[in-house]
Amino acid sequence: MKTIVTPITQALEEGALTRRELKQFMQRSNGPAMVRLLLFLATTLTTGFLIHLAMDSVWLLPAMFIHGVVLVHHFSLQHECIHYTAFRTRWLNDVVGNYCGLVIMLPNRFFRYEHCDHHTFTQLTGKDPEMIPMPKSIGEYLYYLSSIPYWKAKFTELGRHCLGRLNTSEKKFTPASEYRSLIIEARLMAAFYGLILAASIAIDNFAVLWFWWIPVMLGEPVMRAIRMTEHVGRPEVYQMKVNTRSNRVNPIMQFLCWNMNYHAEHHYASSVPFHALPRLNKKLNGYVYTEPRGYIGAHVDILRRLFSTSARGQA
Amino acid sequence: MNGKHWQPLISIDQLEPNDATPVRLNNTLLAVFDTIDGYFVSDARCTHAGANLCDGYFDGKNIECPLHQGLFDARTGRALAAPVTRHLKMIECRVIDNQLQVFM
Repeated sequence: MKTIVTPITQALEEGALTRRELKQFMQRSNGPAMVRLLLFLATTLTTGFLIHLAMDSVWLLPAMFIHGVVLVHHFSLQHECIHYTAFRTRWLNDVVGNYCGLVIMLPNRFFRYEHCDHHTFTQLTGKDPEMIPMPKSIGEYLYYLSSIPYWKAKFTELGRHCLGRLNTSEKKFTPASEYRSLIIEARLMAAFYGLILAASIAIDNFAVLWFWWIPVMLGEPVMRAIRMTEHVGRPEVYQMKVNTRSNRVNPIMQFLCWNMNYHAEHHYASSVPFHALPRLNKKLNGYVYTEPRGYIGAHVDILRRLFSTSARGQA
Repeated sequence: MNGKHWQPLISIDQLEPNDATPVRLNNTLLAVFDTIDGYFVSDARCTHAGANLCDGYFDGKNIECPLHQGLFDARTGRALAAPVTRHLKMIECRVIDNQLQVFM
């Protein structure tokens, strides 16, 4: 077994924080996630109700978009759950993570394994399975934001797993003993969606489209834009100090994303729960890379790099 | 000296109370766990990707890998939760005169 120097070991060795401080930050609790989950579900119901109010009006599309933005943030909660940092009680993370996965079509166990390699090989081309490549043109940038490549990949992935197959990259990050469980997970998810579709046809009611899937499709570009801010445009190197970007964002976005705007802090210490990330951010101030202008600033940075690379290419 | 024998590891006073403490013995990094059932010593590296387990979350019974949150029982070394599948290598230990010793 090889030994690796993880970002947190490095931060401890460099004195960015002490072991005692780290232990304090890592303390788990069910309370903060329970409160936030209730607020998050209440927000989801409220934005869903907006669609009901906006039916047959010009406000329908904006209402579905707002609801969609909330729905796609189930990703942030699911992400916290697959790290087992949302709730102190581990099985609660599994239950809530699977619920989130059903909302956004992201099988929970598969995501967990894939995400492990994202943390091991963050921003390393060919090794990081979640890496979003730096776009080479404005066309590539907009195409990624459209979410078309994302959904293409997700449907292909689910279909492949339902057929009982995992590709080479997936076999690399999944223990062989777990192949079967990922296939079963995908089939259960597909069966769940199939049942909902069948029930919708049987009762001739397609509310799931208006209140769920169309909003998710409308909201996903926002999630793609947020995911881009985490690493895209940062150096493609192992050093966590530079390969990940934290973003200062407004309280609404911070609520929706479960504090995952503190992304560099999360990568340094992925065992630290979401509610402690703002405190860890203060502690690691200056040690990690933070974009003070937030998501917009991160995209300005990405576009600036894109255009400067294009200009250099043409010179 | 060849073969395993008892050797001093660390003074009990130097351990992190109710927590995991990394201790290097020769070229081996060990983890000392102050658990609810007493002291236990294991290889400090996670059997999944080799991260130092002493940097992980410890609740008095189980130690969680700081990198991928895989879980081990710190008292038996048993791998409890994904992505870890291989058990942790445990090292026999005892306390003599306020000194933790390991048999290795």
